[in-house]
Amino acid sequence: MTLVAFVLSVIIGTASLAYGYSQAGMTDPARWFILLGIVWILSHWRKVYWVSSFAFFLAILGAAYGVWNDLPTIWMLLGALGGLLGWDLSDFARRLSYAAPTDDVQGLERRHLARVSVVAALGFGLAWLSTVIQINRLAFEVAVGLVLLAALGLARLVVRLRKY
Amino acid sequence: MSRSLLLGLITYGLLLAGVAIKRGELIALAIPCVVYLFAGFLFSPDEINLEATRHLSAERTSPNADVVVTVTITNRGARLDEVLLDDVLPSDLTLRSGHTRHLIRLPKDSSFNFAYTIAGPRGGYGFESVRAEVNDPLGITSRTVQIEAKGQLFIFPSLTRLRHVAIRPRRTRVYAGTIPARVGGTGTEFFGVREYHQGDSPRAINWRVSAHQQDVLYSNEFQQERVADVGIILDGRLRTNEFARGHSLFEFSVQAVAALTDALLTQGNRVGLLVYAAFLRWTLPGYGKIQREKILFSLAHARPGGSEVFADFQHLPTRLFPSESQIVLVSPLHEDDLMPLVYLRAQGYQVLVVSPNPVKFELSYLPKNKNVELAGRMIHMERALLLQKVQRAGIQVLDWDVAEPFDRVVKRKLSRPPAWLRAVGR
Repeated sequence: MTLVAFVLSVIIGTASLAYGYSQAGMTDPARWFILLGIVWILSHWRKVYWVSSFAFFLAILGAAYGVWNDLPTIWMLLGALGGLLGWDLSDFARRLSYAAPTDDVQGLERRHLARVSVVAALGFGLAWLSTVIQINRLAFEVAVGLVLLAALGLARLVVRLRKY
Repeated sequence: MSRSLLLGLITYGLLLAGVAIKRGELIALAIPCVVYLFAGFLFSPDEINLEATRHLSAERTSPNADVVVTVTITNRGARLDEVLLDDVLPSDLTLRSGHTRHLIRLPKDSSFNFAYTIAGPRGGYGFESVRAEVNDPLGITSRTVQIEAKGQLFIFPSLTRLRHVAIRPRRTRVYAGTIPARVGGTGTEFFGVREYHQGDSPRAINWRVSAHQQDVLYSNEFQQERVADVGIILDGRLRTNEFARGHSLFEFSVQAVAALTDALLTQGNRVGLLVYAAFLRWTLPGYGKIQREKILFSLAHARPGGSEVFADFQHLPTRLFPSESQIVLVSPLHEDDLMPLVYLRAQGYQVLVVSPNPVKFELSYLPKNKNVELAGRMIHMERALLLQKVQRAGIQVLDWDVAEPFDRVVKRKLSRPPAWLRAVGR
């Protein structure tokens, strides 16, 4: 289950980046992203788990570079999200490899996939909303105030939620 | 690099880049990472309160016998979504079945049991703790704790039952036993003839001797049988026990000591043990089953070792053994050991040397060719000469080819004292 989800995440992530780059006529980087996906899956198959962190970093770097070059944001966002999921599932698969055959591996997988799906959906939704909703005029002082307020709110939220 | 650090760096990198080049899309890229980090920290367990208990199916066992270890982990704290338990086995123990590592979810106030089977060679093994790595559901935070779960396993050397070991120390103790005490009295072994005393049983009258005299009767006198002090010395020196390609005679020596200890204690003697290796390990003399346990415990921990001080028997602490008592030395013997043994004998100890034969042992695994055969013959002659010298000093020697079971050798050679020792009587 985890393996299928991992492969799908990597394919979605790297294919999105490749598609986004190819749409802008940048075919060479697109090929590199496809190659990155293949290498990532192969290294996971060979249990070389450190490659996953490196590939995730490259996927984020590729998405950031694409955004900077005005490539379609949706594909770059999907690329970054796919990279994040691939990185998470690769590490989860590594942790699962320590489990004994008698352990409830399927239960662990089911719960983890459910949680990570919710997190991914929430992250993607918020990110997409942030690109859709645009405020044209916002004074710098107001922006700083909002950031501080957000940080304070987040901190309080975390503290409060952890009590329960 | 930890996962939270990597993700934090990437997130801050995207945010800073977004602010620097004034591109909101870059900040949008960071949002999934922020949500991921937030979820990870939110669901990370704030307190870890795990308890563990360990139960072993046997705390004393024999080499390579199966022992089932059952470990119970109880979560007294908050719910833990992902716990990796790892019960690290002491070295030398091997896992026969089951698993020592488990990845589990542990709700609050719940328990998890796991069992596995181990086996190992002679030794004393201590279990200290179970390692628990607690992760949050997304693996962002990870904490490792050691949960105390103590346990001990003693693997004693295998015990060969010996029917009887005949020893004749010069001095015995006052309690009745099976060792001829060189004192006339009630017993089973003939000691001599003396003049009839009032109260002697008529069955004790030696009619043949009495017939030679007029008006005087003679009675047979028997030798009293008592218990004796026995000091067993186990030679654990590397120079005598270790051979090429990792072969060792030490395990055979340990087996012999265990068997002799059991036999001598069963006879009612007071037995002490000195392990002479890298350092001295002395088990005070005692009687009975408790003493057998103590000696087996000491044997379980005995390891061959080398040191400059104890390289030969010059520093053998003879004061540990009561004067004129029986000393049993279990050693493959080295040519330098002759003089210390002669000195030991000269001090009045009755010495029995049980010597696992190193020449035959080494030849058993060396390739069979002319050179090896010739070398073997030469070394064998040297050893025979050494044993002869030892015997001439009045020391009883049991040359043991370890290919033959120890009990058979003992039955053949130690079930009664040798003729020369009985004749000499000292």
